[in-house]
Amino acid sequence: MDDKFDCIVIGGGVAGLAASMMLAKANMKFLLIERGEFAGAKNVSGGVLWGNDLAKLVPNYWEEEDGGWERFINHRRLTFMDEQSTFSLDFKSSHFNEKPYTGVVVLRSKFDNWLSGKVQEAIDASDYAMDSFIATNIKVDEVLMENGKAVGIKTGEDEFHADSVIIAEGVNNLLTRQVGLQDNYVPADHMLTGIKEIIRFDQEVLEQKFQLNGLSGMSNEFVGWATDGVEGGGFLYTNRDTISLGLVVGIKDMREKKRSPHDLLNHFKTHPTIADIIKDGEIVEYSAHVVSSGDARAMPKELYKDGILIAGEAANLLMNAGKAIQGMDYAMRSGILAAETIIEAKEKGDFSSATLKNYRAKLDQSYVMKDINNFQDAVHLLHTETMQKKVPNLVCDFGRQFFTIKNEPTPKSEKMLLGAIKRHASLWELLKLGFKARKSL
Amino acid sequence: MKLLKLTERLGLVNYRNQSKSEIKPHIIVDTDICNSGCPHKCTTWVCPANCYTMDEENKVHFQVEDCIECGTCMYACDQGAVDWNYPDPEIGRGVNWNFG
Repeated sequence: MDDKFDCIVIGGGVAGLAASMMLAKANMKFLLIERGEFAGAKNVSGGVLWGNDLAKLVPNYWEEEDGGWERFINHRRLTFMDEQSTFSLDFKSSHFNEKPYTGVVVLRSKFDNWLSGKVQEAIDASDYAMDSFIATNIKVDEVLMENGKAVGIKTGEDEFHADSVIIAEGVNNLLTRQVGLQDNYVPADHMLTGIKEIIRFDQEVLEQKFQLNGLSGMSNEFVGWATDGVEGGGFLYTNRDTISLGLVVGIKDMREKKRSPHDLLNHFKTHPTIADIIKDGEIVEYSAHVVSSGDARAMPKELYKDGILIAGEAANLLMNAGKAIQGMDYAMRSGILAAETIIEAKEKGDFSSATLKNYRAKLDQSYVMKDINNFQDAVHLLHTETMQKKVPNLVCDFGRQFFTIKNEPTPKSEKMLLGAIKRHASLWELLKLGFKARKSL
Repeated sequence: MKLLKLTERLGLVNYRNQSKSEIKPHIIVDTDICNSGCPHKCTTWVCPANCYTMDEENKVHFQVEDCIECGTCMYACDQGAVDWNYPDPEIGRGVNWNFG
């Protein structure tokens, strides 16, 4: 049957596009199916693509005048927030100006579309220029199974057949559930809603506001008052002439505390520090996207079965362990590893789980699963009330004491700190936290 | 900066098949479940697009037109009332992000 593909990739997001790029470069005959009008049309992220795997897919991508990405990150900021104050860890370094960059901000409607153009170029240069396709506007209804092995997909009345299927459908992983790798109902416990506004400025104004130079950019994460007592945090990333400003808030916590994500986002925007930043900006888009917390308990039972691999957010590969919100880089690496596994399976002529289990092994050996496994305690710690509320409050309280100059005798910093600790937590609680943080971070 | 109301925010969303009068809903909600035994009716506040509303008699109503396909309701509803799917590209609604 010559119309059979080596592989069908479901989903034109970061994972699916990364997998497709590798398949095209390895001269595989494949079909990438995207339900949007174009790759990126349905995709939302915060979003910073961390790490430098992008350079593996598109070498020297930074040389392109308008390469799909917004800005590279050379300035990072982690901010504790109480009602009136912000206290930040701020790091900027020209080390981060070196290429390949270690993080680029992206807007998915543009970035994924650009990357999909690169995949098309790779297809055109492959032996299957006329037989591999990127098909848009198609929703996959079902993964076709025969004797427990995936043999293709079904969309409406049409069927497409393949030796293997890479499911990269995103966080709302209906097909992953359909093939039995995840329970049909995924509870809200480890799921959060990301909610975001894109706010536009005159580009020069934006560059001055954030002290950007050329295409340099800043990432800023927030913890504390930003989410008004709801589990989660805030983020701000600089794009070319817009910023991405948003929150990630726990669904279960919103359910229990009767809070709306859109009200919380407006709450965040009223903070004096944020209000100063967004002054005179124009909101041009409002969006939302569910993410998992990085708690390994939210992951599918397994990431492979006969003829099937699960990549990216469909596998709930996402984590925030306090340093950064990582998801797109995990998607990219898992997509690359999934494609490598399919290429090996093709060489062996065996697409059963005997071969495809190597994907899991590769992923376990990669930084993706190593980090997810090593930082589970940090994920749990970050979601405790102490870290979400008490620590930001006491840090900001201390900051206010420390930076206040009155015309009267100044107490020593230690005394200020102990005072702040007593007002918001206890020394014992903080010692426990410090001990846990030392072990988990 | 002036804060936007949710309706103003949704006005910025680029929806698909907006000119079509008949669309096929991609989410089916059994509001009988919401209105008979649900202890929280949380979809009426967790949905970022306010597709779920509560009337004066505390009855839950659902409309799919404003849905931005995030999936929040599918996780938030622990009563089995939400049958969630992706919209059909031709006869469904859903989004077409300008920025994403």
